[in-house]
Amino acid sequence: MERIAIIDGLRTPFCKMGTSFNDVSAQELAAIATRELIERRNFDTTIIDEVIFGNVSQPPEAANISRVIALLSGIPKTVPAFSVHRNCASGIEAAVTAAIRIQAGEARSILVGGTESMSNIPFYFSKPLQDVLTQFGRAKSVMEKLKILAQVRPAYFAPRVGLQLGLTDPVCGLNMGQTAEVLAREFGISRRAQDEFSLVSHQRALAGREHLREEMMTVIPPSAYQDVVTHDNGPRENQTLEALAKLKPFFDKYSGTVTAGNSSQITDGAVVLLIMSERRARELNLAPLGYLRAWAFAGVDPHRMGIGPAHAIPRVLKKAGMRLQDIQAVEINEAFAAQVLACLKALESGQFAKEFGYEGFTGPIDRNILNVNGGAVALGHPVGATGGRLILTMLKHINRNNLNAGLVSLCVGGGQGAAVILERG
Amino acid sequence: MAVSYRIDGDIAVIEFNQEDAKVNVLTADVLREFHDLVTKVQNVPGVKILLITSGKKDTFIAGADIKEIEGITVSADGEKKSRAGQDIFNLLEDLPIPTVAVIDGVALGGGCELALACRYRIATFNEKIKIGLPEVNLGVLPGFGGTYRLPRLIGISKALEIILGARALSPEEALKAGLVDHLYPQAGLWDSVLQFVKEIRDVKGRKPGLTRKKKGWPGFLDHNFVGHVFVFDQAGKSVRERTKGFYPAPLKAFELMRETFNAPRAKALAMESKAFGDLVVAETCKNLIKVFYLTERYKKLLPPECAALQPKAIKKCGVIGAGVMGGGIAQILSQNGMDARLKDVSYEAVAKGLQSAAKIFEQAVKRKKLKPHAMTATRLKISGTVDYSGFQNVDCVIEAVVENMAVKKKVFEESARLVPPETLFCTNTSALSVAEMAKSLSDPSRMIGFHFFNPVHRMPLIELITTPATSAQTLCDAFNLVKRLGKTPIIVKDSPGFLVNRILLAYINEAGHLLQEGAGIPLIDKAMTDFGMPMGPFLLCDEVGLDVGLKVLRILEEGLGERFKAAPAFAQILQKGFLGKKSGQGFYKHGKIRGANPAVAPGLPQDKTALPSARECQERMIFTMVNEAARCLEDGVVDDPAAVDVGMLLGAGFPPFRAGLLRYADQCGVESIVETLNLFASRPAGARFEPCAYLNDLKSCGKGFYP
Repeated sequence: MERIAIIDGLRTPFCKMGTSFNDVSAQELAAIATRELIERRNFDTTIIDEVIFGNVSQPPEAANISRVIALLSGIPKTVPAFSVHRNCASGIEAAVTAAIRIQAGEARSILVGGTESMSNIPFYFSKPLQDVLTQFGRAKSVMEKLKILAQVRPAYFAPRVGLQLGLTDPVCGLNMGQTAEVLAREFGISRRAQDEFSLVSHQRALAGREHLREEMMTVIPPSAYQDVVTHDNGPRENQTLEALAKLKPFFDKYSGTVTAGNSSQITDGAVVLLIMSERRARELNLAPLGYLRAWAFAGVDPHRMGIGPAHAIPRVLKKAGMRLQDIQAVEINEAFAAQVLACLKALESGQFAKEFGYEGFTGPIDRNILNVNGGAVALGHPVGATGGRLILTMLKHINRNNLNAGLVSLCVGGGQGAAVILERG
Repeated sequence: MAVSYRIDGDIAVIEFNQEDAKVNVLTADVLREFHDLVTKVQNVPGVKILLITSGKKDTFIAGADIKEIEGITVSADGEKKSRAGQDIFNLLEDLPIPTVAVIDGVALGGGCELALACRYRIATFNEKIKIGLPEVNLGVLPGFGGTYRLPRLIGISKALEIILGARALSPEEALKAGLVDHLYPQAGLWDSVLQFVKEIRDVKGRKPGLTRKKKGWPGFLDHNFVGHVFVFDQAGKSVRERTKGFYPAPLKAFELMRETFNAPRAKALAMESKAFGDLVVAETCKNLIKVFYLTERYKKLLPPECAALQPKAIKKCGVIGAGVMGGGIAQILSQNGMDARLKDVSYEAVAKGLQSAAKIFEQAVKRKKLKPHAMTATRLKISGTVDYSGFQNVDCVIEAVVENMAVKKKVFEESARLVPPETLFCTNTSALSVAEMAKSLSDPSRMIGFHFFNPVHRMPLIELITTPATSAQTLCDAFNLVKRLGKTPIIVKDSPGFLVNRILLAYINEAGHLLQEGAGIPLIDKAMTDFGMPMGPFLLCDEVGLDVGLKVLRILEEGLGERFKAAPAFAQILQKGFLGKKSGQGFYKHGKIRGANPAVAPGLPQDKTALPSARECQERMIFTMVNEAARCLEDGVVDDPAAVDVGMLLGAGFPPFRAGLLRYADQCGVESIVETLNLFASRPAGARFEPCAYLNDLKSCGKGFYP
């Protein structure tokens, strides 16, 4: 099997919805990052065999967003592109798909990434209004048109908010936050534990700012070009436990524990990675940042989608023939503090391992090697981009600290878990 | 033989294909040939349809013969020529059988009018196609029935837009306007033509339904009396505003079209011929034709040493300095398909450059010159950096940092370390020595001055400044870049202020002296706008920025002597912190309240009766330019008066109807200019007016700048 090398990567800062990147589409954001990676690494774009981006909200004006990004980035027209969607793990999916295609001999070098502009997820017309407007368009006479317009009721104008629709499970009907509430109750994760976890996330993100800067470019966002965005704008200086404790539960107003403060932030951002076979990297004389050793996905109950990592992690370890002890750094995406803490509890539990046949591949994860530069609670979670960000952050981290292997995992809306194991270059 | 015909069944085909020419042009001879063929075809029994085509690639008929137009000196001759063409097109229009113009290339002027005289026009999707009536650009109006037929075919509002604005339409636009009936793919055109012929074969008159009835506002305006009044009123206003009384052709075309709008053909055409005859002998027409030839020549210019060389492909340029110029340069590069890596010392500075580029894109979108999606794709071609990353594979470096030799040398040294060995180095300096700058490179032969004018996207001129070290390959690459940017080059010797700024600053400085002597800002500026300049010297000064102007003046004074010593007015107002438009006020106030800045008082003349008159202002400023231009020729800054004229027309907004600075000088008479300059020079402190040796030589030989 070809060994999969990750040559380099770059990301934009992550900016909260409605802030600096409010006017930048997902495709443009990704193109800005892609161009910058190409410029900085000064590699010839003709070495790229394919382009694969992950994206969740899939802007209607950019069908097959990868192709749009590729063309906007100045990658030759002759290079094909397709897009992948595995919800919150779309960025991971892009990298894994690339790896599989390289191993299958379909390509030698693939540009992958993830991008999301949660600021630009559209509002939709209600279906009755859509029907009226469609009929109106077909109507021939003025009378007919007036008749159709007379059907409109004020209630038709209530928009359907795309972001909300995306964050609600269409099968089990729960909002993502509500699935976190399910886990908090089931695993007995207290409000205080969640808030404490969240505070650490902010503190680590701030302390790690210069480290994170290494994976980031400066963006001057169009179309105003007024701002100079150099850092993630999610981490809050002076965040205190008291301030977190004051927040009302967002998803379950009365008995809930999940608040805006201990959930991931809604954010815009893009990441890009250059992946190739180890052989191709050697041919081109490129030193890889690291290697993608193994990957695994698991399906879980949609009501408990946040538990996904607890299933994906043992599976990926088993595939790689590794144990938790072999891993020196872990990133579990902080969709919700409650959900990460539930995963940690599950992984510590012998009963859990037994129940699912994960014996030997689970165990406690040291908090000191988990999300050491903060997580999505502080940095934000641009859903399509996060998977890529975690890979990039992990690779930079294990290189910086001379670690051998790192593990990245995410929970996935709709009830899945994803995990990959990365090795230092 | 320029025109031939063949009969294919019941279809007759007349084909234009001029021998020994790239394009078809309607000379008197060609028209005569065409006339004979139409008469012949008319009498061939069994012919049911006439097609008119071209044998040239990408050209239908490019227009009338400009040389012939230029040669007409008597109004009656012009009228006769126009009548002759009209008669032939009338014959074509009056044929009892359907006629079809098959347009697969440029159909301008007379070519468009020929097509208009056909019953049908079909065209292809060929991107090279331009259909329109650009005659007013040459100071005349369509003289072969265009002003009569176009409004009747496509409606008065669009017809006015095309004729008065000298607009040329793309095939899609022509279809939308109703100027052509159908568009077909170029591939398999003949089959499509036959298909079209089949559709119209047995139709009496015009096939109904082919002329699109316009909907909405334009349709309303074109189809009722009130609409017509409104359209004419608006068009008249806009023409007067645009031409400012300097260009009679659009106004005359407008009046003609208004008067003939409801007139029968014979009357309308007679009036058209008359108007054509009047315009064609006017000086404006002759001057505009000279400008046309001149700019065409310089657009295609290629120095002989470059003829055998292959220019290198330029895909990406590194632009150093993200000011207004740097941003503008990045914008025009990206717009022409090149990537631009914009470098400055901080991201804040880079942002400024991106903003100026974005402004230009947004204006283009607003004016519908650019689609929003194209704007996104194009602006992404510009990326910013603070550390030269991305310069490792540029094809060209363009420097646009502050006018400081040390800084410029530094950025060239820094970038030269990274870029590939065959990179083209361009400096956008407006006054500094390029030769000195080239010393910063290990291989100075790759350096050339590449002087853009502000605003970059609008000014069509590039001064290419060569040094003794500049290699032929460098020159060749630079010419190629100029062409890709759609600009016109002139080659200028490396000397202070180069050509355009040197002449322009002599002129602006003279305006400063006039101010000192008591002439007011409005008087001086109006003297020049009355002459035809797009703006007066002080407004221009405000636009450029007083600090920039003064800096260049100092360089000129240092390099060229006393006559460029800045008039005291400039230093005084700079002291007050007035920089011009960028600081809100200069000679003028630029904000909500506009007008001459009361804080800038004219100097007090000792003798009120000696206040310079408007005429004297004009003469002093213009003849100073002529004198300086002559010095440039004397110093070998450029080797041809035509280069001066192109430079001033395209780089300084010298009015085209005056044909160019030195053409104008010739028209005034060098002798009288020298005398006037001598008169000015004889006054106290008048040494700067001393006519230069070149001018005196011309005078003594009794020659002008042009042979």
